[in-house]
Amino acid sequence: MEGTTPQLDTTPAKQRVWDLPTRLTHWLFVVGVAFSWWSAEEGQMQWHVWSGLTLLGLLVFRIYWGFAGTETARFSSFIKGPRAVAAYIGKLFKPNYRAAFGHNPLGALSVIALLLALIFQVGLGLFATDTSYVASGPLNHMVDSDTADAVTDLHEDFFNVLFVLIGLHLAAIAFYLIAKRTNLISPMLTGSRRAENVEGPPAGIAPVPLWRLAIGIVLAVGAVWLVTTL
Amino acid sequence: MKLTLFATAAVFALGLAACGGETPAPEAPAPAAEAPVEAPVETAAPAAGIGETPADVAAFMKQRHDNYEDMGKNMKVLQDSMKEASPDMTAVTAAATAIKGYADQMGTWFPAGTGPESGIETEAKANIWTDRATFDAAVVKLQEESGKLAAVTDAAGFMAQFPATGGSCKNCHDTFREKKN
Repeated sequence: MEGTTPQLDTTPAKQRVWDLPTRLTHWLFVVGVAFSWWSAEEGQMQWHVWSGLTLLGLLVFRIYWGFAGTETARFSSFIKGPRAVAAYIGKLFKPNYRAAFGHNPLGALSVIALLLALIFQVGLGLFATDTSYVASGPLNHMVDSDTADAVTDLHEDFFNVLFVLIGLHLAAIAFYLIAKRTNLISPMLTGSRRAENVEGPPAGIAPVPLWRLAIGIVLAVGAVWLVTTL
Repeated sequence: MKLTLFATAAVFALGLAACGGETPAPEAPAPAAEAPVEAPVETAAPAAGIGETPADVAAFMKQRHDNYEDMGKNMKVLQDSMKEASPDMTAVTAAATAIKGYADQMGTWFPAGTGPESGIETEAKANIWTDRATFDAAVVKLQEESGKLAAVTDAAGFMAQFPATGGSCKNCHDTFREKKN
């Protein structure tokens, strides 16, 4: 689409870097993880279960979107080998440094780590239980009592891993803001950034058909429905 | 930065409970009956109205812990039954009866000297002994709710009463049980 982009003439041009579903998913992860933490701390276990189910749906969508979404959302566009990571680090402080289009090879590792940790944590939660039996994960009935207890302990402890990864993520954002004068937060809110000294096509991501989004929503809702009916 | 509650777990290789099917009741109340209830009396100045410190505090506290574990296993049987279209009411009643049996004894499980001051790892908070009236009321609440649960005869009654029973567990845990971490 938009093969001839008229706005290329106007400076400063905007480069589209994140599509709306990617941004929405990202911020809902923020809200969902924060709410899950809060509800667990406060013993609001029914809310905690609902929050976890929401995160499950979001994760299913995000994984699907990693294959069906726009260029910067796709795993194939940002998962690179160690050589690319090393090369990126090498040029990070060189004068010819240009901000990556989408996730840079190093940041991609953080994205993958966060996603995997979240998948693991939400997966544990499916089988976990509140010891007062006010609420339990939707698949708790599929494991015996001892297993459920062990899973629940791990679910509690593993939050610390997630917490550290989130801390690293925030530290990296602060680093780019302060040391590289690159604001990563604003593009995650608006989807665009000034197309100055950046990599990637000047116009940025090309849109994908809406039906792909529809499929993702069906998959996400379907997954949540499935675990609550098993 | 954790949930709370749990932490119990870990030990017990009781074969019971595998996957919600079996009836746990016959063996359930037994361990409780033989332990804290008739824990021998000796030593230490008893705090007024709270009972005397058992001779073997560690064994007493271990038994108390195991009793709660077993209550948890019975609760899980009930929780699993909640997800069935037509729960096995025999299993439900057996598990509920076991829980009621423990609840009835619970008032004797916290004599003086079996709290955190014992130096033994426990999630029992000191306010069990300093705010005994509230604690006792919470135990009575559990006795009432689990009694109603043990008396239900149909699935609808069970589905309605189980959350109230769990709520009476939580009611006490929120105030008198140490949060993990």
